[in-house]
Amino acid sequence: MSPLGLLAASSPATPTTHVPHVDYLSILPMLIMIGGALALMVASSLFRKILTVGVGTWITAAVSVAALVAGLFQWDQISTHGAQVTVAGAIAFDGFDVFIQIVVAMAMLLTALIGDGYLRREGVEGPEFHVLAMMSASGAMMMGAANDLIVVFLGLEILSIALYVLAAFNHKRAESGEAALKYFVLGAFSSAVFVYGIALTYGATGSTNLPQIADYLSRNVIASNGVLLGGLALLLVGFGFKIAAVPFHMWSPDVYQGSPSPVTGFMAAVAKAGAFAALLRVFVSTFATARTDWQPIIWGLAILSLVVGATVALMQRDVKRMMAYSSINHAGFILLGVEAATTRGVAASLYYIITYMFLVIGSFAVITVMSRPGDTGHQISDYRGLARRQPLLALAFAVLLLGQAGVPFTTGFLAKFEVVAAAEATRAYVLAAIAMVSAAVAAFFYLRVAVTMFSPVGPVGDVADGADSAAGVGRPDDTPGDGGWAGDRADDRAGDGRGSPTSRDTGDPVSSLRVLTDAPPLDSVTERGPVAVPRLTWLAIGLSVGFTVVFGIIPGPILDFAHQATLLFP
Amino acid sequence: MTINPDWYLALGVVLFSIGAIGVLVRRNVLVMFMCVELMLNAANLTFVTFARMLHDIGGQVLVFFVLVVAAAEVVVGLGIVVAIFRRRSTANADDLHLMKG
Amino acid sequence: MSTTQFPYLTVLVLVPAIGAAVVALVPRQAVSRWFHEMLGLVVVVVTLAVAVAIAFQFKTGDGGYQLVSDHVWAKDLGIRWSVGIDGISLFLLLMTALLFPLTMLGARVRRDPRSFVAWLLLLEAACLGSFVSLDLVLFFLFFELTLVPAYFVIGGWGYARRGYAAIKFFIYTFAGSAFLLVGILAVAFIHQSQTGTLTFELPALMHTHLSGTEGTLLFLAFTAAFAVKTPVFPFHTWSPDAYAEAPTAGAVLLAAVMAKLGTYGIIRFDLNLFPQATRTLAPLLLTLAVIGIVYGALVACAQRDLKRLLAYSSLAQVGFIVLGTFALNSQGLTGGVLQMVNHGLIMATMFILVGWIYQRRKTWQVSGLRGLQSPAPVLAGLFTVAMMASIGLPGLNGFVGEFLVLIGTFVAHRWWAVVATTGVVVAAVYLLWAYQQAFHGEPSDEDAKTPDLGWNERLIVAPLIILIVALGVFPKPVIDRIGPSVDRLVIHVDQVTHTPLPAGLHAGSASTPSSHRLSGSALAGSNRPAGPSRASTTPTGGTP
Repeated sequence: MSPLGLLAASSPATPTTHVPHVDYLSILPMLIMIGGALALMVASSLFRKILTVGVGTWITAAVSVAALVAGLFQWDQISTHGAQVTVAGAIAFDGFDVFIQIVVAMAMLLTALIGDGYLRREGVEGPEFHVLAMMSASGAMMMGAANDLIVVFLGLEILSIALYVLAAFNHKRAESGEAALKYFVLGAFSSAVFVYGIALTYGATGSTNLPQIADYLSRNVIASNGVLLGGLALLLVGFGFKIAAVPFHMWSPDVYQGSPSPVTGFMAAVAKAGAFAALLRVFVSTFATARTDWQPIIWGLAILSLVVGATVALMQRDVKRMMAYSSINHAGFILLGVEAATTRGVAASLYYIITYMFLVIGSFAVITVMSRPGDTGHQISDYRGLARRQPLLALAFAVLLLGQAGVPFTTGFLAKFEVVAAAEATRAYVLAAIAMVSAAVAAFFYLRVAVTMFSPVGPVGDVADGADSAAGVGRPDDTPGDGGWAGDRADDRAGDGRGSPTSRDTGDPVSSLRVLTDAPPLDSVTERGPVAVPRLTWLAIGLSVGFTVVFGIIPGPILDFAHQATLLFP
Repeated sequence: MTINPDWYLALGVVLFSIGAIGVLVRRNVLVMFMCVELMLNAANLTFVTFARMLHDIGGQVLVFFVLVVAAAEVVVGLGIVVAIFRRRSTANADDLHLMKG
Repeated sequence: MSTTQFPYLTVLVLVPAIGAAVVALVPRQAVSRWFHEMLGLVVVVVTLAVAVAIAFQFKTGDGGYQLVSDHVWAKDLGIRWSVGIDGISLFLLLMTALLFPLTMLGARVRRDPRSFVAWLLLLEAACLGSFVSLDLVLFFLFFELTLVPAYFVIGGWGYARRGYAAIKFFIYTFAGSAFLLVGILAVAFIHQSQTGTLTFELPALMHTHLSGTEGTLLFLAFTAAFAVKTPVFPFHTWSPDAYAEAPTAGAVLLAAVMAKLGTYGIIRFDLNLFPQATRTLAPLLLTLAVIGIVYGALVACAQRDLKRLLAYSSLAQVGFIVLGTFALNSQGLTGGVLQMVNHGLIMATMFILVGWIYQRRKTWQVSGLRGLQSPAPVLAGLFTVAMMASIGLPGLNGFVGEFLVLIGTFVAHRWWAVVATTGVVVAAVYLLWAYQQAFHGEPSDEDAKTPDLGWNERLIVAPLIILIVALGVFPKPVIDRIGPSVDRLVIHVDQVTHTPLPAGLHAGSASTPSSHRLSGSALAGSNRPAGPSRASTTPTGGTP
């Protein structure tokens, strides 16, 4: 972190260089993450033989837990001594920062647990996954702590560059490389836009330090400063790309689909957490006085993200693409809290971030195991009959999906409630109404997956197993239909060598004919057998589901946490 | 002879626009990289110009950060391109269409 | 408000909720095949017992909220676990608790009974939770929660076009309630700006002062959700599909219980929170209700499918509930509340019976059935009773409710009542026509072999039939308990709107012309059925 000391030169205009005071506790989680990554990389090049995937996982998990514990220490420190800035004002050490550190550390822990099973299954050796993920996590942490635009930029780049590689690290998948390249090109583009935004802001305000910018803005009324407005707009574009807000979202479906599944979950959770943290700090806190300039833009971004995310997700047949659009929709919800630009809004956004982190990583844990070796089984129809084969897995996924849909008594509902409440507290009723309607649309595609899992496999008649025929009062009135579920349409996908379970459409003579002619026998097609769920992945899924349900029913602690975090926001 | 710093800013805008349009229009990945570099350098030029205008050394320091990041970005980007090129023998963005939806 | 030591209402909601979790988590392989259904049955019966205990705890004559318990749930959000009942919700609670065991017995499924039972239990918890919530957000939570199990029940166990029906149902209702949440938050924040405290509790929010526009917009936001759920006329298009494609249990619960969430919501929240807007917009809702009544009846005439016929007849009948509600006087509202219970009982009976007909004959087409009366006289007889109650035959429960509604409406809004009356006539036409087609005539060979109801089936519908008759003959205990709460509500609306009703209809006025009292007394043999005066409400010791 020593290069940051150079920034000291920017505040006092004295020629003598002095090393600023560094409160190491304030950057401890970041240091642990970076240190862990470097140590693992060095160790792996020294002891290639014994450093198996398992060891890498355990080291990563230990580092994440250490960062988490450091975060809790930080929290304690903040609660007793209050917020402060350190490293010559480049790093903020406040509740908001610590909240992001803790969220990212937990995300890293969960991802390490999921990655373990994935790496073993795909036969990927080496510690690159872990090293890169920890690097990326440290970047997200830095974005949460950044109190200077250039530190935001550095955090953004550390986060992104590691993610570009992570997206491509499974070199056996062609899609991964493609995803990485798309992510990279658009990511680099957005970074360049962001830097130019910083340059313009610097020109307009004379500093890149956030408190100094805020100070400048509060002292000088600049109604129509083109340079500042241009800078603001470009910064927003840069953030827009990172959080995948419409219209800067076009990379995300491809990248989500192409990246290895655990990476996608990590990307969705951590990149969003970091980018939103910086967005909140830069706009809500620093540019608070210019609120009237940027609020309408956020308003538009939020509405577009909500509507486009929800509606386009409806048409997806690939679960990962669907999750990409759903993530765009979620970004729209978090933007509601940003748009409110109040303490309540910030708390709501933070709560949404932590909630979404668990939901999305948990969901991608299930998607990872469901994809089977090769990371290919991502069609919605691949989930058909899961409830029969693996009821617990189906139940867990259903809970996570319902949580994302915002069903009551999950954290997902409270998160949506919070942001909508924050929006309405500022009388943004139209935005709130659009958000809720989009939630209704979104609920539909989550439920479609959930119902696909709970609907039977196989042709009509197969379902009503005669063995179960219930005698006694009221005889069964259950006539299984011919699969009216919209999820069924997913069957029309290109054959990938193993046939698609079209058999349910037996009402349609053509498809039943197709089943008879060119598909292998029904049983071998539809009953693919259970997928293997590694124990550590179970742990990750269990933690996510547990968080979603327990804190959905007992919301106090996490809500308190989020609200406390904003009280300590300078 | 002194040149009005506004001209540097204008040059920055021009460079940035050329870069941005290039990324959006050109389909060769390597050219797209170069355009991104153009954008970053436009930002650098702007930083330096503003630093001069504001008599603040900080702006010039920021250029180093940007340079380092740009270098790191290019390394990773070229690595990804090479990985794809080995597999596909193309550096054209339009040829990358495994995924759609 | 009275606070009791034992949290009856909380227990009432928690029993089925916990039951659902237990049923869902006990693995299928570990227990015998009947275990889950038996366990589910035990849970719903225990729930019923709690509901009955609540009915005994209920103090007749007290129009306020009873058995209230109030705890902080989410402090930072201001949401409280605040539950309580009054006369309006008491009978909905009882009806819900009664219908679930009967549904579970009378409409079992063959495929995956474990999940089915678990969803039903969750649905029961959500429905009961909605009826007892006094906190708006808590109500919303339960109101939304009902959708999930209902969606899975329709989608998982329904008939041919279940997917379409379930999705349509879900989208309509979820979209409707989106506005509800926005409305709830808006009310709460307006209240906060006036008093400084953020709360979602109905008794507090009742006193929020709203401007005319605010009130109207919020009323529309709330009513959007309730109108879809009920369903009120233009928002009804999901219901025939959902009722027709749902399994019997789903149809019963959709029509009998979940539809009441909408009408209950209108009475509980629209009237309490937005009295002015309610009064202003009452003609609109009355018109929609009347259109629903006539349209439902006419379309029902054209149906050849028994389930769709019932769906449209249900649309017509809930029109009466809405009509009574927006009459905004004691008779109308009492009739509306009573009609909610009546409609629930009647619809449940009819859908269960139709489900049994389908089991025997594998068809709902009226044309496919003929002369069932001779091979299945008990079935035919029970169907007749339910049908007559639905038509509004005096002596059966449907008559009491419909009559009170029409009286209330006639006094307040004469012409709407007149048009609505035609709906009653048409209802008689299509129901009798369907009955004639299916049950009369010479049975074909297949029809002749239709078995009659077994003793177990008779036992299942017996409670429903008994209640249909009992409520028709002696509705006084029910009306005595509904009355005070309805009167309070009417007084609240009148106070806020400063609209004196025509003489004698003003709730609480001492000089009630006897002509208006006639309505209820004649009907119910009571000294106070629809009589608006609270003073005359003597808590007679009628037990349920």
